[in-house]
Amino acid sequence: MKFNYIISILIFIPVLIIQTTVVPLVSIGEVVPDLILILLVYYSITEGQIYGTVLGFIYGLFFDLVTGSLLGSTMIAKTVAGFVAGYFSSENKVDIYLMFFNFGLIVFLAALVDQIIYSFFSAFDISSNILMIFFQNAFLPAFYTALLSMIIIIFVPKKRIL
Amino acid sequence: MIRFLNSVWYNFKEYIILTVLVILSLFIISQNHSPAVQRVRAISFGTFATVTSVVSDVVNIKSLKKENEQLRETNAKLMLQLSKLREAAIINEELKGLVTLKDTSGYPLIPASVVSKSLSRVQGTITLNVGNSDSVKVGMPVLTDKGLVGIIYSVSGNYSIARTLQNVDLKITVKDERTRENGLMKWNGENLVIINVPKTYQIKKGDRIVTSELSSLVPFPIPVGVAAGSNNVETGIFNEIKVIPFVDFSKVENVFVLKTVASKEIDSLELNFLKKFQ
Repeated sequence: MKFNYIISILIFIPVLIIQTTVVPLVSIGEVVPDLILILLVYYSITEGQIYGTVLGFIYGLFFDLVTGSLLGSTMIAKTVAGFVAGYFSSENKVDIYLMFFNFGLIVFLAALVDQIIYSFFSAFDISSNILMIFFQNAFLPAFYTALLSMIIIIFVPKKRIL
Repeated sequence: MIRFLNSVWYNFKEYIILTVLVILSLFIISQNHSPAVQRVRAISFGTFATVTSVVSDVVNIKSLKKENEQLRETNAKLMLQLSKLREAAIINEELKGLVTLKDTSGYPLIPASVVSKSLSRVQGTITLNVGNSDSVKVGMPVLTDKGLVGIIYSVSGNYSIARTLQNVDLKITVKDERTRENGLMKWNGENLVIINVPKTYQIKKGDRIVTSELSSLVPFPIPVGVAAGSNNVETGIFNEIKVIPFVDFSKVENVFVLKTVASKEIDSLELNFLKKFQ
């Protein structure tokens, strides 16, 4: 179990580098897909809900530390996102959940939760239009992340390598 | 009792772990401004930026050629402008001599490259490859030839993080270049807006917005963007003016840090002034 955590953190480092250097180049407006969340959802489905929750916390901590965002905001968002994605963790159904469309839907749901919580902690303003914030800050990035996740999952072999 | 606790743990361990981690996160959020957290953050992003700077260099090689051409064109335009400005400067010097004014121009610029970006709709930050060793300090403005990019927020030995104008936590005093009216500009998650602008102000669509001398961070007018009309707030006496920034934050790669040193004399003067009225 501990070894699994080390592996998932080691994989996280290059993903974090890509997220902060390459991914901004494919942003549409200010909408940026979240590769870290895709990795987190993958681990939550394959390793279980507790694993996903703890991993979300660790990923969020590292992300906040190196990017200068409000320390704790990504941490809390990714923790809950990992927990939500972990609901889809079942030994018998892993292959089903990792299928193209299903995986995209789970990523969309987790990304939506992640972005709503993140927006709440980093941009909540009583005068803002909550529906607009929900649409622009949560729905659009979640949708983009889900689309990208469906492309990525095609190239992930059915036998676990991550 | 132990059996009961065991059964609670067995049945609800996922929820218990989630609750503990959420509480821990909330605690960390509350500790954001503590010096210890700032120190840990400076060390960690400094280490991470060392790696990303290599990757960023590789990624940027392709765009360098195009940027080089653009820079050469800008250089030519600047050369023409410079000759005009030199002429103006000579006259300016003569006039200054007549009225014995102090010269406040000539701030040094520190060239820097963006090694990584964290862009979300609410918190835009960029990591630069200059830090303490290049005399970069928290609060210094970051700019390009087009205009203001943001303000340095955290510094380590060789790297620094700047909050871009598209960061909800950054607020800057700006003014309309034409009407000279001042206002506070912030990112509201969707647009750059100048908030609480009295309806009597004459800011029009297309007016250039620059940083105001009232700001203690930015010492002279740096272009920010153009006014794109007002969001008429029906109630109250204030408007919101939308501003379209000159700089495309998602594409910015090379920047300058304006090496300004906050005047202790002005600070202490303002502080004494405030204390008088408390």
